[in-house]
Order: sequence, then structure tokens, then C-alpha cells
Amino acid sequence: MKCLPVVSAALSLLSAALDAQSPTLPSRLGPEAVAAIERVIDSTRAAGLPTAPLFDKAAEGVLKGADDQRIVVAVRGLARELTEARSVLNSSSDAALLGATASALHAGASVSDLRQIVRPTTGEAPDTHALATAFVALTDLVTKRVSPASATGAVRELLKRRASDGDFAALRGEVDHDIRGGIAPDVALSNRMRTHVQVLDAMPLDRGPVKRPPPVE
Amino acid sequence: MRDDDHLPIELRRAVDALRETPRIRPEWIASITERAAADRIDAVRSPANARRWSLDARVAIAAGLVCVAIGAGGMYLALGGRSASPLNAPTVAATASLAGNTPVRFTLVAPGAVKVQLVGDFNAWNPVALPMRRTGNGSTWEVEVGLAPGRYTYAFVVDGRLARDPSAAQAASDDFGVPSSVLLVKGGGT
Repeated sequence: MKCLPVVSAALSLLSAALDAQSPTLPSRLGPEAVAAIERVIDSTRAAGLPTAPLFDKAAEGVLKGADDQRIVVAVRGLARELTEARSVLNSSSDAALLGATASALHAGASVSDLRQIVRPTTGEAPDTHALATAFVALTDLVTKRVSPASATGAVRELLKRRASDGDFAALRGEVDHDIRGGIAPDVALSNRMRTHVQVLDAMPLDRGPVKRPPPVE
Repeated sequence: MRDDDHLPIELRRAVDALRETPRIRPEWIASITERAAADRIDAVRSPANARRWSLDARVAIAAGLVCVAIGAGGMYLALGGRSASPLNAPTVAATASLAGNTPVRFTLVAPGAVKVQLVGDFNAWNPVALPMRRTGNGSTWEVEVGLAPGRYTYAFVVDGRLARDPSAAQAASDDFGVPSSVLLVKGGGT
């Protein structure tokens, strides 16, 4: 029994050492910013949402030279979008999907648009990875000034046809190429989607790797 | 009339060679520039070591040693006094830390760059944690990172300037005025 206090002390030290590895906020942040962000983190944790993205956002802001106020605003915005993302996903706990959904909301997609993608009226609901991939593509397109409505419609069409990660990546790259070439973003997406849909529709659903459509010039 | 006329011809040649202004080689300039860029990044960016230790390092080390001692004692008792191989524990720990991570290779074509680093959610945006190495062709930079399934935002630091990955999806967040890229690492269960 004499060893109990020693074991107890060792376990306390072990617990403290493990706690030391949990993420902390960047040391450059001022005390007011730290307090504000910690409040956001506490409420996010209490809501059962992942808090790692909030630490990451603060660290990103510090690296990019943002001031404290801007970082606090960004962290608060992300926490709000994570909450909205969970409402879109019906309490999904997948952190990657939550992050991708929050990012799509941040880019300008609406909650109702995203809900239609998550729960399509016809066909199977896409799996977690397919959804995350679609939302990453949607975000990329909207960031390149494709309208949210057009981008949402495009990813729905691709998901319906069980497009692969490579299909989404190819579409992103092609639309980016066209926009850089001076084509209006929505027109670029529409042109490229026509080809992708034709190719996907011509293939069986249990297909292997999809052959890339030729570039539209 | 030279002041070394009294010297043998071989010695005069040697003296002439030493008096010549040395040629500055391009690789010396590159090396000095690289070191200067590294110092600048360290000075400007070091606060971004977001996941700093919140516990005094000595306390953490002491806790580790106590745990190791207790673990070794327990193992000794469990094995009835036989000694366990000291090499086993670290091997198992290393295997566990790598399990489930997917090796992801990041590449960037930056022909004129002197130094390129990778920053992102996976290293708390620490610009000194993941330096990229120049490949044989001299213009492509790469680094391989083991990542757990998830979504990561990242960027490159090219000679002190942030740049997004042109081949990856762009992140929505322009909260800080500098675009980033997004990577999805697929999990086994999805």
C-alpha cells in the first residue's frame, strides 16, 4: 500500500504530460484575443464539435501576419460555420466532412443547397468521402467566381453519376484553365460539365477509372 | 620594379595568385541567400509554433522518467524477475505512431527558389517544421508527410513568401488575405 501515493503521483504527472501535448493557441496572440478564442473553443467543445480546426485557424492567421482582431473574427466565423455544417449533415461527426461543409458555407453556398446535395431526392445518398470531395470541389469553384448555384448544380450532377475523386479534380483543373484563358466562370463550368456528363453517362456505374474528357478549346 | 623581384619566379607566381581578387561563385551567393532567408523566416514566423508545450519541459521529462521506471518495475514483477529487452518498447511505440497514416507527397515547381517549406494544419503552420528538398531536376521541390485521414489546409513558403498549391483545390477562407489549398486524405472506412 506504501506504493499507492507514488503510483498516484506518477499518474498525475503522466496526465499532466499528456495534457501538455494538446494544442494550444499561438504565443503571439495577446491575452484578450486568447480569452476570446478560448471562449469560442469552450462553447464549440460543449456543442460536441471538433475544436482542432479553430486552433489551426488561429495558427494560420498568425503565420499569415493577421492582427489579433482579424484572427478572433475568423475563428468565430469558423465556429459558426461548423455549427451550421452539422445542421446540414444531420449530426455527422466526421471532422473532414464537417470542415469541408463549413468551408463550402464560407465560400457562399447556402444551407439549403448543401442539404440537397447531402440528401438527394433521387438515388443513393453519397458516402462521407464522396461528399467531402464534392464540397471541396464546390468551394474551389465558387472561390474562382463560379456562382454558388452553378457550382452546387454541377457537383450534384457529378455525385449522381458517382464521379470519382479524379473526375472532380479534373473538372476543377479544366475550369481553372478556362477561366485563366478569359472564359466567364459559369460558362467555363457549363462547357466542361457537358463533356463530363456525356462521358460519365456513357459508362457503367461499376466502372473503373474514368477516361478524361478531351479539353474544350 | 616590384618589391618581390628578389624572389624566385615560382614564389612570385604564387604571390601573384594570392593577390588576385577571388572569383565569387554562384553557389556561394545561393548559400548566403538561403541562410539569410532562413533567418528572416525564423525571426518573423517563429511565433507560429502554435502547439507549444504548456508544461515546463523538465517536469514533462521527469514525468516520463517516473513512468518509465514504474513501467519497468511492473514489467520486471510481471515477468517474475526476468529482464525485458530494452529495444522492444521503442519499436512498438514507433510502429503505433505510424499506423493509420497515409504517406502524402507534396511537390511544387519553383525553379528560382532557394528555400521552400510546407505549412499547414498538420504542423500548426510552423514554417520551420517541414522543409522541402530540391529534386534532381533542380526546379521541383518535394516532401513526404504521413497524414491521418482528414481534411487539411496548407500552403508553401517560397523564399519567405506564402504560395498556394496551384495543382490543388483552393480553400474558401480568404480570412487573412492569402489563399491556401485543401487536401483530403481518405480514411479506410469511408
